[in-house]
Amino acid sequence: MILLESHNVIIQTTLTDKAVKPSYLDVLFVDFDGVRFHLSTPEKKTVVQLSMNIRSWDELAAYGALDVLRREYGSLIRAQTEPEYNISLDIDLEQLPANEASREAFIKSISLLKRNALAAPFELAFRQQKTLEASGSSLGDLMQIHYRDEEAIYVRASPDRVTVIFSTIFREETDRIFGKVFLQEFVDARRQPSIQNAPQVLYTNRDPPLEIRDVPGLRDSEDIGYVTFVLFPRHFAKPDVSYNTVSHIQLFRDYLHYHIKCSKAYMHSRMRHRVAEFQKILNRAKTEVATTERKTVTGRTMVVR
Amino acid sequence: MSNVLRPYLSAVRSTLTAALTLESFSSQVVERHNKPEVEARGSKEVLLNPLTISRNENERVLIEPSVNSIRMSIKIKQADEIERILCHKFTRFMMQRAESFVVLRRKPVPGYDISFLITNVHSETMLKHKVVDFIIQFMEEVDREISEMKLSLNARARTVAESYLTAFTS
Amino acid sequence: MSFRKIDVDAYDEDVLHESELYEPDPRDSAQVLSDTKQQQAAVRNSLNKGDITGALNIALDSPPYGLGVEEAKNLALQTVVSVLNSTKATDIPNVLRSLAQNEQDTLMKYIYKGMGMPGWGDVSGSVLLGWHEKLTEVAGTGCIVRVMTDRRIV
Repeated sequence: MILLESHNVIIQTTLTDKAVKPSYLDVLFVDFDGVRFHLSTPEKKTVVQLSMNIRSWDELAAYGALDVLRREYGSLIRAQTEPEYNISLDIDLEQLPANEASREAFIKSISLLKRNALAAPFELAFRQQKTLEASGSSLGDLMQIHYRDEEAIYVRASPDRVTVIFSTIFREETDRIFGKVFLQEFVDARRQPSIQNAPQVLYTNRDPPLEIRDVPGLRDSEDIGYVTFVLFPRHFAKPDVSYNTVSHIQLFRDYLHYHIKCSKAYMHSRMRHRVAEFQKILNRAKTEVATTERKTVTGRTMVVR
Repeated sequence: MSNVLRPYLSAVRSTLTAALTLESFSSQVVERHNKPEVEARGSKEVLLNPLTISRNENERVLIEPSVNSIRMSIKIKQADEIERILCHKFTRFMMQRAESFVVLRRKPVPGYDISFLITNVHSETMLKHKVVDFIIQFMEEVDREISEMKLSLNARARTVAESYLTAFTS
Repeated sequence: MSFRKIDVDAYDEDVLHESELYEPDPRDSAQVLSDTKQQQAAVRNSLNKGDITGALNIALDSPPYGLGVEEAKNLALQTVVSVLNSTKATDIPNVLRSLAQNEQDTLMKYIYKGMGMPGWGDVSGSVLLGWHEKLTEVAGTGCIVRVMTDRRIV
């Protein structure tokens, strides 16, 4: 599995199960970036309540997340949100579409809850770009989404493009160096003719890119990196392409770190193997000690303790 | 074995063979103690001249002989940041398993990446030329292992980047 | 508590000192330096004539050792390295065979010393490694053992 999926598998499988055989449940779980979910049946078996807590909800709401969710889920959204969560959906298992395919599609759309919430600033930026292009004015507002404790996404629309900047922290020296190798490849990969149309990627270590240089409170240390994606209208002009781009770019940070961890795991398995080989070579050097059973006069065996 | 590396490894091999003439030797300082003199450094007369074998500043071996033990330290070539971190990981990984590699020292001598401590006990229970073979083979393969790990990291990074970016164009 | 850390053996009356491990050089340090300078000139002379064996014989004769003659030691190393660097690889075995055993040992000492300070002067790792290999073939591992045990460090 090279690419990560943007839907939540737990929501998908749980709902699929419960659609067949409703029962009481109460499940707490988390997704990437510390997004918390709560699946429960507070009133009756057949009505499942799904609540989500997302760190940067206030920012997302300001960029129109609620509108996006209303568009996607409509009447499913509960008026009364569960305490400690930002949004709650009510899913009545008796009202699910009868047809197998459309039921699957419905459940899938619910499992995309996080993706849809995070999509709001991107969709807003895409709309802004169109109006800016039409009116010919200079720059849109800089949108900040602090989706993790120390990391953020910055989105800004310009008349001819949308710039998305990720700040990412590498906690460990190894991560930092591996991250550098990976990000360098992101920059270089675009030279390939087959992916010339992909968004342009820029990478800087430590120094923030020009667009966000004046944002207050940026960290100034060796372990931080900034990745800039430049999205051109061809990446979001058509609705389906735009949908793809949004779900894809959201997961960039998770994707990068996932693969850094994978490489480290691979290195470890390699080293384990190599060390076992060395062990064999060293064991060849050991001389065989002939162990004969020694007995005393009375016939008892001498044992080395 | 590559031709460039051969004189270096053969020099290490002959020096190690020469140095591995060990015998049991009780401490002259503490009664009823018998410890590796090269580590204890208790008496000068049982320590021999340390020898260095080097290809260049970044690749060298230090052999410190004494009457009942020798200490051998290797500095592994590290061309860039990636090789440095891979080398560090690999040597640390091995040294954490020093228990099963009887001749391996748990900590490298300052200025080197990995150290071996061979005592008379080892030379009595193991075949001397095979121990030398082991160390030479280690030196040969550690370089190769590190460059292979670096290549595989780069290859993975490329695939990862390409498949991520390709998804935008589809 | 500090009395526990005192090394009482250092106050023993028959404690061994570094200088007692070998016979000191009978020459004084100024004499050694001027000898070494003369050797260097003679070696250059022989090298210009293309007489490698002769140059090496002079360079390896009565090398400076012991304490307090650092300058002479460095000069001697430079002299030996200059001979080693200007020898063709094919000539090496013949030159080595013509050396006496103590000269071979001294040469080995200089080879190890040179490898111990890579990048110093015109010391080149690959040249020294080449000589080391050939010398071990000619003189055997005994030569290396003698370098390890000889306290007269060059």
